Amino acid sequence: MLITLRHIQKIYNTGEVEVKALNDLNIEIEQGEFVAIIGQSGSGKTTLLDILGCLSHPTSGDYWLDESHITTLPDSELTTIRNRQIGFIFQTFHLLPRKSALENVQLPLMYAGATRLQQQSRARELLTTVGLHDRVNHHSNQLSGGQQQRVAIARALANQPALLLADEPTGNLDSQSGSDILSIFEELHHQGQTIIMITHDPLIAQRANRRITLLDGRVLADEPTESPKEPMLQEN
Amino acid sequence: MLGAIFRDALKNLSSNLLRSGLTMLGVIIGVASVIAMMAIVEGGQVWLVSSIERLGTNLLFVWKKRLTIEEKRMFAGRNLKLRYDDALAIRDRFPELQVAPIIQIEGHVKAGERDYSGRITGTSPEFSPIRNFHPAEGRFLQQSDLQTWKRSAVLGKTIAEVLYGSKSAVGEQLKIGEHRFTVIGVMEPKGEVYGQDRDEMIFIPATTALRFFKGDDKIRSMVIHVPNRKQMEEVTHKLHQFLIQRHDGVDDIRVRNQGDFLGAVEQTIWTFRIVLGGVAIVALLVGGIGIMNIMLVTVTERTREIGLRKAIGATRQNILLQFLIESTTISVIGGCFGVILGIIAAYGFGDFVAQSMPGGGDWGAVIEPEAIAIAFVFAVSVGIGFGLFPAMKAAKLDPAEALRYQ
Repeated sequence: MLITLRHIQKIYNTGEVEVKALNDLNIEIEQGEFVAIIGQSGSGKTTLLDILGCLSHPTSGDYWLDESHITTLPDSELTTIRNRQIGFIFQTFHLLPRKSALENVQLPLMYAGATRLQQQSRARELLTTVGLHDRVNHHSNQLSGGQQQRVAIARALANQPALLLADEPTGNLDSQSGSDILSIFEELHHQGQTIIMITHDPLIAQRANRRITLLDGRVLADEPTESPKEPMLQEN
Repeated sequence: MLGAIFRDALKNLSSNLLRSGLTMLGVIIGVASVIAMMAIVEGGQVWLVSSIERLGTNLLFVWKKRLTIEEKRMFAGRNLKLRYDDALAIRDRFPELQVAPIIQIEGHVKAGERDYSGRITGTSPEFSPIRNFHPAEGRFLQQSDLQTWKRSAVLGKTIAEVLYGSKSAVGEQLKIGEHRFTVIGVMEPKGEVYGQDRDEMIFIPATTALRFFKGDDKIRSMVIHVPNRKQMEEVTHKLHQFLIQRHDGVDDIRVRNQGDFLGAVEQTIWTFRIVLGGVAIVALLVGGIGIMNIMLVTVTERTREIGLRKAIGATRQNILLQFLIESTTISVIGGCFGVILGIIAAYGFGDFVAQSMPGGGDWGAVIEPEAIAIAFVFAVSVGIGFGLFPAMKAAKLDPAEALRYQ
């Protein structure tokens, strides 16, 4: 099992009121799955993403990621886990301005301790796989939204993470670019990459092969997506 | 990785040149003022020390201490004051010393239609060699002038010109008060020495000054030349004891040598160093606060970037280093410009003093390499010191919150 969440609780203390963002959540995800986590705003999606991405600790419960008992690790080790095991893809891309596509992809490699030469050749290779070999020296403001998200995917894949974590990856894109991004996800999925994608859009969730629906911090439904994918493309 | 962080810092600074420049300005002014202040104080010290040394070497100065009313009452009836006899007694007791008594009177000098009002100095022939101040024309006072209360006068260069214009003054008659004097010599031009214009002096025999103008035998001070520099301290002490003994055991005089003056100057210079250095360092600290201020703004502006960097694997140390290097870069570059500006300011001040202050011609700025090193190191420390708080703030940001910061 790649991911095991047991009795995960996350409670936010906002002054007088306690908000239970996640309430006794239990999820298991296997290596190679493409999972969509879906739910309305306030359902606990973002909180779950933070915990899965090792960006914050749950209030209680246990989280194992690829043998590591995340909930027992100090912040400093979570940094290493994020760098090596997790690739993040965000709705707003989060590319650094004033840096080229290549430099953006180099960042996680730099933090992993690679030499400059290693960083550059690996980054170039990754940009080629997402189809941006002719845009390596473009700055983020010279790239379209779809291209920026592809740079972000290349960056997320830099250290060959165990888990690709995407937060509304198509939310800021037109439907064609969005579909392109999802195609890349499918391609990566076929190559065996584990992907967790958070979305509020059921149509996008259809592209995954498993759908977990959250409501009020609990799993409402956890089922395989049944509809075939080809008709989806036509609908888009 | 350090190289990459440093390149990032430069890129970030150059992407907002106006802001970086203004932030640097604080450091530039701070460093420049430290260097300029130190250069000016060092220059002042060199100037003061050389002024003192120009008074003549191996000299002792003796003058009367001002007594309090209490002391005056206590010592009433004793043999106090510095008297002409004291000078003669010293000459008898310490034959190796050259002694010049100084009597000062205010007088009105008249030569034909021209006149001059000012200070007239009564002294002895020793004054000339002691002070290394010689007549250019005629001669200086001689023992015989003193022995017979001669009414002879030696004029400073300026006085001679004021009274006689371009013609030779030697042999001319003049009146000091009601008394007729003969000019026996005119001194070489010497200019100002330690705030006193030597060219505006008039010398007459000490005995004549006492007899015709004072009516008593009190003298103002004595200048004494000690042949061997190594004996200065010893002679100073012996002389002081000798005079106390002559004054019925009352210590009412001061005996000072050049070393004492140099010591006093050194002390004054240190006071200046501390006061001016303090002001300059305050300027530098204000510059540091400017850095901290702008770095805090930068951290806030780049919260999302910090969140992203943390999400993809930047450690706290990575983030801390990134912002620390940025603030340090500001202070290093500011420090370099500050050094240049400081040197320009110091020399500019030197020129200003040379032109505007009487006798300040030699007060140049003296820039010690140490001053530059101190200012620079201090500036960099300020950059690190004041950059630390914003950098720590950045390093401590929660990645999940930082990523979604609006």
